[in-house]
Amino acid sequence: MANKFALLALCSALFAVGPAMAKPGTAEKGKVIYDMRCTWCHGDEGDGKGAAKDHLNPPPRDFTSGNYKIRTSDFEDLTPNDDDIFRMIRDGMPGTAMPGWSDILTEQDMWDLVAYVKKFASYEKPPAKQVDFGTQISSSAESIEKGKKLFEEGDRCVECHGKSGKGSASKRLKGEAGERTWPRNLTKPWTYRGSAEPKDIFSRISTGIAGTEMPSFADPKSKKKLSIEERWHVANYVASLAQTGQKVSADNTVVKVSKVEGELPSATDDARWEKSEATTFYMVPQIIGKERYFLPSSDTITVRAMYNDKAVAMLLEWDDRTKSTPGDDSAGKLADTPIEQDGVAVQLPVTIPSEMQKPYFGMGDAAHPVNVWHWKSGGKDAPETVGILNSKGFKDIEKREAASAGLTAKSSYSDGTWKVLMVRPLTTASTDKDMQFVEGKFIPVAFAAWDGSNNSEKGSKHTMTTWYWLLLKPATGSKPLVTALVIAALFAGGLLWWARSAGNKAA
Amino acid sequence: MSATPKRVIPRLLQMVLVIAGAYFSFILLFDVLLGQLIPKSLLTMYMVFVVAGVVMVFTFTEEGAQELAGPIKALVEDPSRKMVRNVVFVIVPLLAGYYTYSSMLPSFEAPVELRTIHPAPPNKFKAYGKSYNLATLENPYRKFEKEDPAKFKALVKEGGDVYIKNCQYCHGDKLDGKGPYASGLNPTPLNFQDVGTIAQLQESFLFWRIATGGPGLPAEAAPWISSMPVWQEFLTEDEIWKVILFLYNYTGRQPRSWSHE
Repeated sequence: MANKFALLALCSALFAVGPAMAKPGTAEKGKVIYDMRCTWCHGDEGDGKGAAKDHLNPPPRDFTSGNYKIRTSDFEDLTPNDDDIFRMIRDGMPGTAMPGWSDILTEQDMWDLVAYVKKFASYEKPPAKQVDFGTQISSSAESIEKGKKLFEEGDRCVECHGKSGKGSASKRLKGEAGERTWPRNLTKPWTYRGSAEPKDIFSRISTGIAGTEMPSFADPKSKKKLSIEERWHVANYVASLAQTGQKVSADNTVVKVSKVEGELPSATDDARWEKSEATTFYMVPQIIGKERYFLPSSDTITVRAMYNDKAVAMLLEWDDRTKSTPGDDSAGKLADTPIEQDGVAVQLPVTIPSEMQKPYFGMGDAAHPVNVWHWKSGGKDAPETVGILNSKGFKDIEKREAASAGLTAKSSYSDGTWKVLMVRPLTTASTDKDMQFVEGKFIPVAFAAWDGSNNSEKGSKHTMTTWYWLLLKPATGSKPLVTALVIAALFAGGLLWWARSAGNKAA
Repeated sequence: MSATPKRVIPRLLQMVLVIAGAYFSFILLFDVLLGQLIPKSLLTMYMVFVVAGVVMVFTFTEEGAQELAGPIKALVEDPSRKMVRNVVFVIVPLLAGYYTYSSMLPSFEAPVELRTIHPAPPNKFKAYGKSYNLATLENPYRKFEKEDPAKFKALVKEGGDVYIKNCQYCHGDKLDGKGPYASGLNPTPLNFQDVGTIAQLQESFLFWRIATGGPGLPAEAAPWISSMPVWQEFLTEDEIWKVILFLYNYTGRQPRSWSHE
């Protein structure tokens, strides 16, 4: 048994040391690679002032500041380990413009870059002290429960990350260069910059994130200080917040509309939504037409839908850290002025295409108009609204009353998440202006969202999806079963006849 | 080789194994290696050809055909196999029925859409309010690669700045088509590192694609879903030519040209 443990320890030590076997890099060689690959964002001088600096959030790292967000050295020593830098270069930072470089750079190239990049902040010696991991406490219901308590106690983490962990804003946060920063949405671990392994989460909690308002919880001077053991509980709790249902699955491109008997849900919190199949799509900022939108604050939208013999109900759900209420002072303070309404839109072709050609995905085109159901959140003294746009491209838009097509919408906002329920009859009076829903046909559908607190005052500044599909799945009926039985009977009959004739021959 | 040796694997099983092998190879190739799920309809089409081919090979000689059919015939005719026969006769109709049932159930599988990625270019196209002839159009800066390397380097750098400000969001810092927003687009942005993209194209083709963007594509390339902006609305002609220099320089590729062919 002891042997086994020793072997295990040796293996895991080897594994852990993997990147730590730092080959000494050469700064001069690193500079050549840097000037070819990195300077575009991080700048010739390593100050993060490359050409793209104003169009990226988070902005490119300023290496001269000496702040490294993701590191494993002690909280008091800002010096990163070579490994920490190496990992960022090799794996990139999810959710940012920084890609992993291991596919076009060799390991030695990356160590050379580490050597060069460190020089911008004159880091020469390795850090004196490392994060003390103590003994890892593996995740369990008990540990998660303890972690949750610590997470919420005295507003420790909730202050910025919110009760749900979605990072819904309660105050403005700033980065080292005065840029607006957002607390991580902890329910989406695939956007964690430095991996979502409990060990990495433990490091973040222990070191804080340099250059941001995320403090160290290992600092004994902090009122919110946590012991090593407590930090493991919080790390386990944070890891448990993942909402994998909101992760995009690339092969899932269809909004699945199932038929229900009786009434459709009339509220966003109807229990039936929980059971219906959800599809999540990426939303990308509108950077195709003027005015381009570079710093988006929403990344995905989750859609559920049902229909009955009269209407279709669609539930749109997306994360938005700020409920934008024009006229409300506290909302105004959180917004990058001027505050506007939040919004969401569903785009459908006016005529369901019978061939491959669809309307242009950005608001249709002259020959192929689209319907846009556009919901807006309203203001302090104004109710939410929904309207219909009939669009033949963004320069040729006709605004219509939602009532003309029987379209209704209602919403709810809770702790960083908007839910909007839209309901429209399957068919409408104006068949030339409104799409008529048909069972069993694949209907192109696209979505868009506006964050009125994040520079979205212009119509064009929104996030959007490309065309996906929506299908009203017909009820199964008895036809497949009957046909299957007939086919099975035919096969059985054929085989019996074959065996029989073979038997006759033999006789 | 004249006398048929007793095979380790019966011929019928061999055939089934070959077909199954092809089936899983397709799945491995597309779903795992290329990372793109193979649509069911496409897989079915491929498998029809594979099965037809394999059956043809296995029944090419009379002997082979008989050896293949032998176990099946024996199953039906040999009285000593009655038990196995009864089992097979129950399973086969059940499978046929199940297949029919599952293929008739309404499904949510999205239709396949095929589009041409590099459509044939037109002879002429309009951009910046004038007409360009693609056959004679050349990058005015290409000549400096030989004539004035220092100037060329500066032009590439200017092109890189244009790229980083405008293109990397989709085509990526590494020009591999995996920019931060690439996964939200369909079709996905072109990978310039791939030998099958810009290395196969002339600079004039790139100029046409960049200047007129997605909406400038011919119908077979599905312009209605392309997210490529119409860059003549954002960039000058000069900037486009410089970006093109950068694309080739960064990836280490050379444009195709008439003179080399």
